[in-house]
Amino acid sequence: MTIKRITFLQELLAFMGLEGRLHLEWISSAEAQKFVRVITDFTEKIRMLGPNPLSGCNGIANAAELETVGGFGKSQSIQQKRLANSY
Amino acid sequence: MEMIAEVKQWLEEGTVDLFIGYKMAMGHPLPHCFVKEKIEEVDDLIIGTSRYALEKIATHITAAKPDIKIGLLARDCNQRALAVLYIWNQLKPDQIRTVNVNCCPSNLKEHGDCSYLEPETAGFFKQRVGVNNTHRPRDIEKYDQPERLSRWMYEFQKCIKCYGCRNICPVCFCQECSLQHPELVGTGALPPEVPIFHLVRAVHMAGRCIDCGLCEDACPVDIPLRLLYRKVNEIVVNVFNYETGSGADQPPFSILGDQVTLEPKPLQALEN
Repeated sequence: MTIKRITFLQELLAFMGLEGRLHLEWISSAEAQKFVRVITDFTEKIRMLGPNPLSGCNGIANAAELETVGGFGKSQSIQQKRLANSY
Repeated sequence: MEMIAEVKQWLEEGTVDLFIGYKMAMGHPLPHCFVKEKIEEVDDLIIGTSRYALEKIATHITAAKPDIKIGLLARDCNQRALAVLYIWNQLKPDQIRTVNVNCCPSNLKEHGDCSYLEPETAGFFKQRVGVNNTHRPRDIEKYDQPERLSRWMYEFQKCIKCYGCRNICPVCFCQECSLQHPELVGTGALPPEVPIFHLVRAVHMAGRCIDCGLCEDACPVDIPLRLLYRKVNEIVVNVFNYETGSGADQPPFSILGDQVTLEPKPLQALEN
């Protein structure tokens, strides 16, 4: 059940654009090496993805900083920053 | 009109204690409760093109009077909502009678008596930076990850936290709503905590949403909620093999006990 619920959440986050930031693994207390490997790999993966784009003020300011992406034009990003600052 | 005669008969014979349908009031078709004592009002019963969650009204009435028998007009979406409400023990099938009426136009039915046609076409700006309400989930999946986030955040940050999506939702019935719990969703600021506010609701719609689209109809800022919940239920079908509203099985996220509360009971008891 847990694996299904986590899969559900992973897919929802991927649909939102936050893919790969949720990981589930079963590690027994006797599997120290596996623990080290999983944590190291995941840390490396997160480092590759960069900082959480939603960290900080409501996530909006940071989302606005994605101005180079897709449809976000400059005026939009300025407008959003103003929005974010006013809260 | 056969429908009117049938409803009159139901009320007179006591098949139902009240019937929820639509009646013109001040030029608007509004939900109206027809009763035996005012049977002449049934002549004004109309199907109309407007759409309200009549089964939600039935849920509220049943909560106050558990033994009451209710009849209601039901389009396809109402019927799916009723199926979900039976599963979640909000209504009892033997206490509900429906008059099934024609539904929204769709690929299957060209003619429909319903106000919900298609979402409005998205304007130029929304098409460039937001999420087009007429899109399907697979259209969103064409965008890469940062662009998806950016587009969804543009939509979510418009939210004015009116709770319209929750209030209209036929399958939202919790007494205590997570969206109003200060420890789950921060208070006192607009927009609300995004995307948590919308994702909490999206997760709660998993295995519950019957895709009626009332939330999107109600949303004053046009957030593509129906699209989001469609995706959520798509995942539920893929991961749990559960089709919402189609059967009598408990949904995969059902963890209901006797009483649902967000209070951390056991821990608090220990501390005291």
